Amino acid sequence: MQATEVVKLLLGIGEPLVGRLLTYDALGMRFREVKLRRDPTCPLCGTSPTIKDLSIHMNGGGACEIATERHREGVAATVGAAPKPGG
Amino acid sequence: MKTLKEMLAEARQVVPEEGPQQVQRRLAAGEPVVVIDVRDPDEYRDGHLEAATNISRGFLEFRVGTAVTDPSTPIVLYCQTGLRSVLAAKALKELGYATVINLQGGYQKWVQSGLPVVREVPMTADQIQRYSRHFLLPQVGDRGQKKLLRSKVLLIGAGGLGSPIALYLAAAGVGTLGLMDGDVVDLTNLQRQVLHTTADIGKPKVESGARMLKALNPDVNVIPLPMRITADNVMDVIRDYDLIVDGSDNFETRYLVNDACFLAGKTNVHGSIFQFEGMATVFAPNAGPCYRCLYPTPPPPGLVPS
Repeated sequence: MQATEVVKLLLGIGEPLVGRLLTYDALGMRFREVKLRRDPTCPLCGTSPTIKDLSIHMNGGGACEIATERHREGVAATVGAAPKPGG
Repeated sequence: MKTLKEMLAEARQVVPEEGPQQVQRRLAAGEPVVVIDVRDPDEYRDGHLEAATNISRGFLEFRVGTAVTDPSTPIVLYCQTGLRSVLAAKALKELGYATVINLQGGYQKWVQSGLPVVREVPMTADQIQRYSRHFLLPQVGDRGQKKLLRSKVLLIGAGGLGSPIALYLAAAGVGTLGLMDGDVVDLTNLQRQVLHTTADIGKPKVESGARMLKALNPDVNVIPLPMRITADNVMDVIRDYDLIVDGSDNFETRYLVNDACFLAGKTNVHGSIFQFEGMATVFAPNAGPCYRCLYPTPPPPGLVPS
């Protein structure tokens, strides 16, 4: 799936998975598509970003914990797609 | 009888001209313009705009229909200096194409403006056979294949996700694959990480991965990067690539890759798995959400097994 997306993006063809999350459940053999919207309160890509460089990633720790007061649930929580740890 | 000068002046009255920067802006913005190089095939082969299709002036009226299916689609025409193409543009207007723009100063001025061009590298007989099934797909074709061969993709992680992705991209003929992973192959990896073999146990994953990918497709230039991605190296590493694929196995790396790609304006093809479940999405800076929009914070450490 990721490989197909790469080829499509490189060639500029089709509809890439931008703003859509595709989830796959192998046991139930079901795919589900969830629309994703940009979060205006996102500290990185929101309207008033607080992350402007990678300094929060330096010296270890804290980089993931940047959520603002309003920006804490995230889109995934509302659509019930828990993050997957593995690669 | 009209002189050439009069004919050119007449054409310029009906054909709008745009400079290289203006045309480049249209292309960069992803506008649905069709760019046609009306020079002869040998001139086109020596260098052309990446977006351009070659239809020589002599065949233009006969073949334009294959390149432009909707007559309301804007067309940009160019030749070497902008003279042949302005006459060609007038002819297309007369055929009923609504918006035909002449690239002012032609290819020559485009090059002088320092804008990117591509050289047509002829494919070998082996390549023509290898990619023949791609040529049958109208959305890929010969031009798409050449584009893939010129493309550079960075794979972060050569594990469960990175392995099949790397194999598929190498097979498809993506010209440059950066393979980044700091781990060595372990026996427990082999049940899913299909880029590595039993003989590779104990060797760096990028080494066995590079060998496997080269064996699959010798066209591919594999760049092994035997290191972990860190805040110190990420910007330097991603700079050279068109696209980043995140196949990493930890949240720290995902947030780092997400932030770096957004700041560098690189599209990040994201995937993750756990047991029998997986997910994939594409984070395109400013065109859609990012990983932080999706997951503002990682799950507490105790919640997910590593």
